Amino acid sequence: MDFFNRFAIPNPTPTIYASMVAIALTVIAVIIGLTYFKKWGYLFREWLTTVDHKRIGIMYLISALLMLFRGGVDAIMMRAQTAVPENTFLNAAEYNEVFTTHGVVMIFFMAMAFIIALMNFVVPLQIGARDVAFPRLNLLSFWLYFVGAMLFNLSFVLGGSPNAGWTSYFPLAGTQFSESVGTNYYMWALQISGLGTLMTGINFIVTILKMRAPGMTLMKMPMFTWSALVTNIIIVFAFPVLTVTLLMGTFDRQFGTNFFTMTNGGDDMLWANLFWVWGHPEVYILILPAFGIYSEVIPTFTQRNLYGYKSMVLSMVIISLLSFMVWVHHFFTMGQGALTNSIFSFTTMLIAIPTGMKIFNWLLTIRKGKIRFTVPMLYSLGFIPLFTIGGVTGVMLAMASADYQYHNTMFLVAHFHNVIIPGVVFAMLAGLTYWWPKMFGFMLNEKIGKWAFWFISIGFCLAFFPMYISGLDGQARRMYTYSAETGFGVWNMISFIGAGMMAIGFIIIVYNIYYSIRYSPRNVGDDPWNARSLEWATHNPVPEYNFAVTPQVNSSEALWDAKKNGHKLFKGELKEIHMPNNSGLPVIMAVLFFVFGFSFVFSIWPGVILSGVGIFSSMAYQSYMKDRGKHISVEEIKETEAKFGGGKK
Amino acid sequence: MKINHSQPLEYSTEHNRFSILGFWIFLGAEIMLFGTLFASYFVLVDHTGNGPVGAEIFEITPILMETIFLLTSSFTIGLAIHAMRVGKQKAMITFFIITLLLGMGFLGYEIYDFFMYVHEGATIQTSAFTAILFLTLGTHGAHVTFGLFWGSVIITQLIKHGINYETANKSFIFSLYWHFLDVVWIFIFSFVFLKGMM
Amino acid sequence: MKELFPRKQVMGFVFSLILTAVAVTVYFFDMSFEVGSTILLVTAFVQAAVQLVVFMHAGETGDKKAIYTSTFYGLIIALVTVFGSLLTLVWAYY
Repeated sequence: MDFFNRFAIPNPTPTIYASMVAIALTVIAVIIGLTYFKKWGYLFREWLTTVDHKRIGIMYLISALLMLFRGGVDAIMMRAQTAVPENTFLNAAEYNEVFTTHGVVMIFFMAMAFIIALMNFVVPLQIGARDVAFPRLNLLSFWLYFVGAMLFNLSFVLGGSPNAGWTSYFPLAGTQFSESVGTNYYMWALQISGLGTLMTGINFIVTILKMRAPGMTLMKMPMFTWSALVTNIIIVFAFPVLTVTLLMGTFDRQFGTNFFTMTNGGDDMLWANLFWVWGHPEVYILILPAFGIYSEVIPTFTQRNLYGYKSMVLSMVIISLLSFMVWVHHFFTMGQGALTNSIFSFTTMLIAIPTGMKIFNWLLTIRKGKIRFTVPMLYSLGFIPLFTIGGVTGVMLAMASADYQYHNTMFLVAHFHNVIIPGVVFAMLAGLTYWWPKMFGFMLNEKIGKWAFWFISIGFCLAFFPMYISGLDGQARRMYTYSAETGFGVWNMISFIGAGMMAIGFIIIVYNIYYSIRYSPRNVGDDPWNARSLEWATHNPVPEYNFAVTPQVNSSEALWDAKKNGHKLFKGELKEIHMPNNSGLPVIMAVLFFVFGFSFVFSIWPGVILSGVGIFSSMAYQSYMKDRGKHISVEEIKETEAKFGGGKK
Repeated sequence: MKINHSQPLEYSTEHNRFSILGFWIFLGAEIMLFGTLFASYFVLVDHTGNGPVGAEIFEITPILMETIFLLTSSFTIGLAIHAMRVGKQKAMITFFIITLLLGMGFLGYEIYDFFMYVHEGATIQTSAFTAILFLTLGTHGAHVTFGLFWGSVIITQLIKHGINYETANKSFIFSLYWHFLDVVWIFIFSFVFLKGMM
Repeated sequence: MKELFPRKQVMGFVFSLILTAVAVTVYFFDMSFEVGSTILLVTAFVQAAVQLVVFMHAGETGDKKAIYTSTFYGLIIALVTVFGSLLTLVWAYY
């Protein structure tokens, strides 16, 4: 019985038991449903083992949306708990778990997955390629991310959720203060999904550097592809830091080492230091693709070329370097003295310059443009002022001496939500709406989409602007309640109302997807937005091989150029196309990684050893395997092209 | 599969060129991985608590032996790749096997070192310094161990299929990995051991 | 036999052995911290460069630029991390 005790939840409540039952029922329903409709084979052959970058992108997208709702429920619970003083909706322990899982789920399993979803779907299309450089590795990346996310969510019902904050600072996260296995889950879920992210980074750098269509020089790449390139460079150099840091954390928790302890020479602030060496670049990993999306959406809906292409590229490259040189601003109050703080304060403020450049470039693109107020454009227009407010408060926080007032208050919470929501979330929603017809062949309803935009934007302002005020008044973050005398009550109530509006906004988006699946017209053509880059030059939805003939490019706005100046994008005859085969091995490896992570969390060493051997055996098997892909004949291409209507263009 | 005969075999297909560039970028990530370990090592090097300091447990002889083994193995894997390019399969496999044997010699000495440290009362739990020492050396050692298995898998394929565009590509990538491990060792040798004993 | 031992690689190997020998002098001879550290820094980075150029053939293809960029990018950021961490966690407290 001792063996099973470890799986018990430390603070069980009826809510958790109810969720366990709900999860079990959902799993059973899914299994019965798949069996009843005989979809197991379809799901496995067409989706779970696919190496098609578009389908992998869509799998990332679905996972990201699921995680958005998990993290969103956490958010609503926090706002509900703090809406009135001395509330007892959640107790302190539950509140700790909720804000921890909210942060981790939103950053790692929602935002990262969402940007990787869009990169997967869009980048190969934008550069005129047939797939990514390493398609099988791409599938493995997805699966590692997915099992990492599932492992993390499992903590809720088996063993207890992590509760030391999404930053998991030591010594709080050490075994002395966090006894449950929750933080072990944190370490291994992030380790496994981080491995997947690193592989994605390598994959996309090679794809972008080596697989561009003829004529597309680096300085003729669409801006989203540029942002993806810079982002992946940051990923490749930042994620190894997280790998080492998590490993050290695991050693401290499970093997009794003294990296971050308070005794035997341990240095607890080393965790904070290393965490943010990775953590600050991570911020730019999220925001740069968002910038890329705005740089696609704004020119499309103003019908103007992007202003200052070169300065856009330059600013991203500068941001990528600077992002590695500012991490100490996350803990100015640690006590490292004025000189160190001044240096990092300075580098932090420097970042405002390239970012400001980008804001002005977007404004100058809009100027004199023929603006079409579509949903993606609304999000972009909302982004510019709201993000700028977030940026300005960021410069306030960058002043080390002033930071002593803001540190660990709701002011900080307001700031980073102010850059992440209008920056990243708006971009994802804009990108989702913008590329939706490419993914699925029909458009999302514009009218319902606009309702969602207004609910989310106004809800955002109501939810987060009051926090600036209560934060300056001294309301600390991560406190589960406060007394009525503090006067924070009114701000937190407004904030709760705003959070509720945002929730309604997201529900409207779900309704919009449902509505559009049922009622949206299916014959929207290949280029419904009158857009500018290559992904719109192929069919809707995209055939497996992307382009029947490889396009020839001579400008950064290849399709627009072709439409306006009558250039021919597709020269040459149809040829046999070589495509990779689907592969089941990544699924098997993912299961092994899950077993490995799960066993490690609970220190079940036989499971760790067996699954570890399994992982290495799969790698060796992969090395011996001969798989040279398949060929699509010219007849098949002609058939497919005819089905999509119109044949070769 | 289009094979371009004007290039060395390991670069002869598009996929081969992708793999080599991809591996170089992976090595960039590895630089950062070991960079983080070094950063932590330098921060924690004086955090010895009640445990020993580096100079008390480091011994020059095994460290020099490890260095010579690894340097020589880096040389022989380079010779293996040269032999591959001039098409001498037998010489290539011989050099490959010598490389792995030298790698095993390195690992043997490193394990001996670890036992000595523990014997002298420096276990991974003793202090922050010993923890980061074992983690840094262990991460490098784990890479070498992985390399031994990986290299063996490649040798079996070389024996079975000879030098072709696939085995040549794998061997070349393995050689990059092995040289990189030597570079990391040079930094460990200089800044962990020699600086610790200076 | 001779064709199996190209001059460039043999020279590279001999050179790296010499550099190792120079580095080891900091152990056998008494010298100040500054001198010793300088010797180690120089020998280590030169050796790394020898491996990179002579043995790893970093510059032999059209991807030369990408390879050197990623290597130096990694190196610069690793150095920033090392010295930034020292600045924050060690030197700031003297």
